[in-house]
Amino acid sequence: MINPFIYFLLFLKASLFSTGGFSNLPSLHQDLIANGWAKESYFGQSIAIGQISPGPNGLWVISLGYFTFGYAGAFLALIAITLPALLVLVVSAGYIRIEHRTWVQGAMYGVSLAVIGLLLSVVWTILHQPGVDWKGLLIAAGAFGLALSRKVNILIILGLAGLVGYLVYR
Amino acid sequence: MKLQDPRPSKWQLFRIWASVGLQSFGGGASTTLLIQRAFIEKHNWLSIEEFTHLWNLCVITPGINLVALTVLIGRKLGGVWGIVVSLAGLLLPSATITCLLAATFKQIENQAVVQAVLRGVIPATGAIMLLVGWNFALPIIRRGHKEGVLYLLGSSVVIIACALAIILLKISVIIIIPGAAFLGGLFFSPKPASPLSTKEEQGEKQ
Repeated sequence: MINPFIYFLLFLKASLFSTGGFSNLPSLHQDLIANGWAKESYFGQSIAIGQISPGPNGLWVISLGYFTFGYAGAFLALIAITLPALLVLVVSAGYIRIEHRTWVQGAMYGVSLAVIGLLLSVVWTILHQPGVDWKGLLIAAGAFGLALSRKVNILIILGLAGLVGYLVYR
Repeated sequence: MKLQDPRPSKWQLFRIWASVGLQSFGGGASTTLLIQRAFIEKHNWLSIEEFTHLWNLCVITPGINLVALTVLIGRKLGGVWGIVVSLAGLLLPSATITCLLAATFKQIENQAVVQAVLRGVIPATGAIMLLVGWNFALPIIRRGHKEGVLYLLGSSVVIIACALAIILLKISVIIIIPGAAFLGGLFFSPKPASPLSTKEEQGEKQ
């Protein structure tokens, strides 16, 4: 079944090659699905749980860890998202020397473009799951509008979406 | 200006970070705000300029920016042990709750009510993700207005190419991020004519 060492390395790799709390999703999605260690539905569920629980939004990975490999998975996921952050110590030591070089600025800009592309692929992954039909897409559109207005708390938006889901699909 | 509070004890640092972690719902924005309130406004351990500099370092560090920020602030206020207690404070209580919520969900996921609620919640999480992407895109659009249509067009092409490379071609993220960094360095580096960067540019060209 799951090899804990490889499993941990996959999470660590996803975290190392990401920036922000969600851009590790495409990598985890590719690897865990390819190994048969995760179901498609785990990803949307994990993000939903990550949103309703406290802490930085990158903690959605903890629920993905739990769904795929129980408490051990949750623990390994926590370590995997914590370790790369320590690299900031190296970055803060080295960045001062190169920050003004123009290629660094250009490369950083390229990375920020890729991050948006990654997020779009995440949106695609979530909205492409079995169980998301045209009514689901309408819910997504409504939730996007509410979130964009910044007047409604994210938790309330998720609550409303859940309520709509209950009324529509029960 | 208010005087800086004395350096926190390890336990106090742990408690501050735990309360930041436990109070932040819905991710990044609220957490950042709570950190600013606690460390800049309440205790005056950091200036906003210092905070901004630390944040910029975190953005280019792999992984979750907020966790990296916790490392930097923890180090400033308590050295190595400051890092350890700050990380433990931010992550352990909230990760435990996340894990317990996931475990609870597993117990009840097969009930019809939960299934129905979830079919509403999951598209909404997709929408939230789209908003996160939109927020990242805003500074690029603003910069595009300044730099011209070609810049904006080029940026959009890279964004869409990255998304399609993952969705359709299933190319690994490990290839995409360095690839985009390379393209960025090639096509989006500031022009040598820019008066501010001329000096470094010459140093660079040797």
